[in-house]
Amino acid sequence: MENKLTRNLYKVPYLLWILLFVIIPIALVLYYSFFDIEGHFSLGNYQKFFTPVYLQMTLSSFWYAFLITAISLIIAYPTALLLTKTKHKQLWLLLIIVPSWINLLLKAYAFLGIFGTYGISNSFLKVIGIGQQQILFTDFSFVFVSVYIFIPFMILPIFNSLNELNPTLVDAAKDLGASKWTTFRRVIFPLTIDGVKSGCQVTFIPALSLFMLTRLIAGNRVITLGTAIEQHFLVTQDWGMGSTIAVFLIIIMVLIMLLTNTRKRGV
Amino acid sequence: MANANIIQFKHVTKQYDNDSPVLDDVSFEIERGKFYTLLGPSGCGKTTILRIIAGFTEPTSGEVFFNGKKINQVPANKRQVNTVFQDYALFPHLNVFENVAFGLRIKKLKNAEIQTKVKEALSFVNLSGYEKREISEMSGGQRQRVAIARAIVNEPEVILLDEPLSALDLKLRTEMQYELRELQRRLGITFIFVTHDQEEALAMSDEIFVINKGTIQQSGTPIDIYDEPINRFVADFIGESNIVKGKMIKDYLVEFVGRQFECVDMGFNENEPVEIVIRPEDLEITSLERGKLQVKVDSQLFRGVHYEICGYDIDGNEWLVHSTKKAKVGTEIGLYFDPEAIHVMRLGETEEEFDRRLETYADVDRHGK
Amino acid sequence: MDKKITPLSKLFLVIIFFILYAPIFFLIFYSFNSGETMYDFEGFSLEWYRQLFHDTRLFIIVLNTIVVALLSSLFSTIIGILGALAIHMAKRRQTKNALLSFNNVLIVSPDVIIGASFLILFTMAGVKLGFYSVLLSHIAFSIPIVVLMVLPKLTEMSPSLIDAARDLGASSWDVMSKVIIPYISPGIFAGFFMALTYSLDDFAVTFFVTGNGFSTLSVEIYSLARRGISLNINALSAILFLFTFALVVIYYFITQRNKPNDMGVRKR
Repeated sequence: MENKLTRNLYKVPYLLWILLFVIIPIALVLYYSFFDIEGHFSLGNYQKFFTPVYLQMTLSSFWYAFLITAISLIIAYPTALLLTKTKHKQLWLLLIIVPSWINLLLKAYAFLGIFGTYGISNSFLKVIGIGQQQILFTDFSFVFVSVYIFIPFMILPIFNSLNELNPTLVDAAKDLGASKWTTFRRVIFPLTIDGVKSGCQVTFIPALSLFMLTRLIAGNRVITLGTAIEQHFLVTQDWGMGSTIAVFLIIIMVLIMLLTNTRKRGV
Repeated sequence: MANANIIQFKHVTKQYDNDSPVLDDVSFEIERGKFYTLLGPSGCGKTTILRIIAGFTEPTSGEVFFNGKKINQVPANKRQVNTVFQDYALFPHLNVFENVAFGLRIKKLKNAEIQTKVKEALSFVNLSGYEKREISEMSGGQRQRVAIARAIVNEPEVILLDEPLSALDLKLRTEMQYELRELQRRLGITFIFVTHDQEEALAMSDEIFVINKGTIQQSGTPIDIYDEPINRFVADFIGESNIVKGKMIKDYLVEFVGRQFECVDMGFNENEPVEIVIRPEDLEITSLERGKLQVKVDSQLFRGVHYEICGYDIDGNEWLVHSTKKAKVGTEIGLYFDPEAIHVMRLGETEEEFDRRLETYADVDRHGK
Repeated sequence: MDKKITPLSKLFLVIIFFILYAPIFFLIFYSFNSGETMYDFEGFSLEWYRQLFHDTRLFIIVLNTIVVALLSSLFSTIIGILGALAIHMAKRRQTKNALLSFNNVLIVSPDVIIGASFLILFTMAGVKLGFYSVLLSHIAFSIPIVVLMVLPKLTEMSPSLIDAARDLGASSWDVMSKVIIPYISPGIFAGFFMALTYSLDDFAVTFFVTGNGFSTLSVEIYSLARRGISLNINALSAILFLFTFALVVIYYFITQRNKPNDMGVRKR
């Protein structure tokens, strides 16, 4: 007979991983947030976080993340809806996802060329008579590139939930007299809300923390929570303050998860 | 009333791409207030007919009339019909009350009116008090009732039911058959019921359309179809039957298994090749001498109400017998049947020709008297 | 089913696809520019590709990236399978849920947080920043993905399958190697594949935990891009795009082939 110990031995690597790479890192971030730059225990970092500078940064980071999420959703939902109606829908979906597998930095880099002073978008603006504009290193370019990057991630869960939607429910709504719009509003959208939520989740949280985009595309004009963390950890070496911001980011993350994770109803 | 027909199909064909047609030149009429069943094997086109009536699909060619008006182009949400779907298609995000109220809310009825109508519809299907339940908390049979309530609350002129009982277990299914039939009588509206279960069709319908390969093979009352199947397919599909090849010697005399038998059919050419149907319950076990046929018993199953006996005659034809009497496997038995038990089917006869032939029988009967 | 796409919605889809692919093809197009900018196409040349292939430093970085990706996905797949089994076999519902929540922490966490916390971890533990810290981080963030890919296959597997194997005389080990592992193999492949792409794609975590002297492709592209436009990045992106596309095609055909029996798609 195998004894209990050896039977549970296979769990060790995984549990060890949970301990070492999930629990301890978070504990360490929390721990470090109570130390100032000289290594003394203090609550100073938290006090600093509630000063206007940091609060404003948090607020603007939120605003941008919200904007990016909302625009992505507005574009992604109809796209997903149309994709489910195409003939080879899995193939088309795959083609939507391919760009998301291209290295994110390469995509950002592409926009350096496209939005550049002499770039293709400026040539276009000149042709239609608006004239040359500063596009790169503006909030616009930041939001545009972010939306570009997040759209596939938003489309995927929405597509999946639309795909799982029982088509006879749509027939049933029509049968009961609902017009196309009513069917969408009363049946299709409520039943795919889970896909929308997870799409927003995978967009909003990273949008709060993407630092490479702000560096490359927004030219430090936009400071997100992510940029601030990177700044503190890798530039000013103030790990304490970086950790404090990270703690808040984690709290926000948990709140968003709780907000968007409602119990699933299924038949 | 101007017209007894509520729905009429005229030469309706439905074809996807270049596949063979799902429906091939189908024409029929449906009268107001009756219980119709579209019966056929899966893939025969019965559901397509339903979807055309409901407006989920447009026919490739042909015309569909509702109350005398052509409705080919009318979208589903503007039609006076409601559907009970095979998987019920209840909205999982709405509770029982809201599911039933869905159609009424779209019509923008007053809240008080919705309340009364939904309550009434739910009590009609014996679900009073379940208003606040979630769909996921309901059993299969209860969901079925909610789906029916959701359809009848809109007071449609026709209710379409797409194999609604197929997901239920046998006992519940039989119960629901009674209930549906009763409901149709009480409401007095037209029910069009789709099923592949012949017993269900026979038990519930005023009128059955037997469908195969996109065409209506035969339509008629359950008794007509059971007693006078038009061809091998219908005979085989509606109940179990013994089908053998034969020859019509002359009126009232048919030959099969190498012997001649008296029958009640007429109007055939002399020596016309035909097919003979004899229902298993019309065969009676008797002594070898008295039997019109002699078969050797091959197997026997006890089916509860009767024994199902399977035997072979000397030509090797299989004969199925339903009998309350027991036989012994391996022995030879005689089979007796009345002339009325023989149903003669003309090969490749259309429904119209078949009906005309049956009418001549009726004429003969009348003249005889 | 009667589903029709209006010309207008077709146009919408075309625009979306155009926007998604235009920047990538734009990059590739200029990789053939004999000039040095991304706005003035002077003439066709393969100069940038030549430069790229002679850049030994970049070659080593590519090699690093691939080694890290392969090793990390291998280890994370093994640990991930064990994790999925542990979650699947957990008897109590709460244990299961707790394990699952822990599993998902790294998936939902933003990269910066993972990067920053791992940086603290490695510094505290005295792990020198470089190859090992990057490899460990990649293993760490790939494990939960593998678990999520394998777990559905385990839950989908009928328990009577295991009973049947035992009934036929299989030992625990036989059950594992002859029944469970073959059954969940599509999930394992998918997990390995996802781990590979996550590792190849990762920038932020690597950026935090890599030290001087060790770099992966993403980090290299970042530092090059911060310095401005240089067309050998374009040449690099063209090659990477082809590579990614090939992977996608392979992946598509694998999943397509597995579909009838493994993806459980029911067709009526």
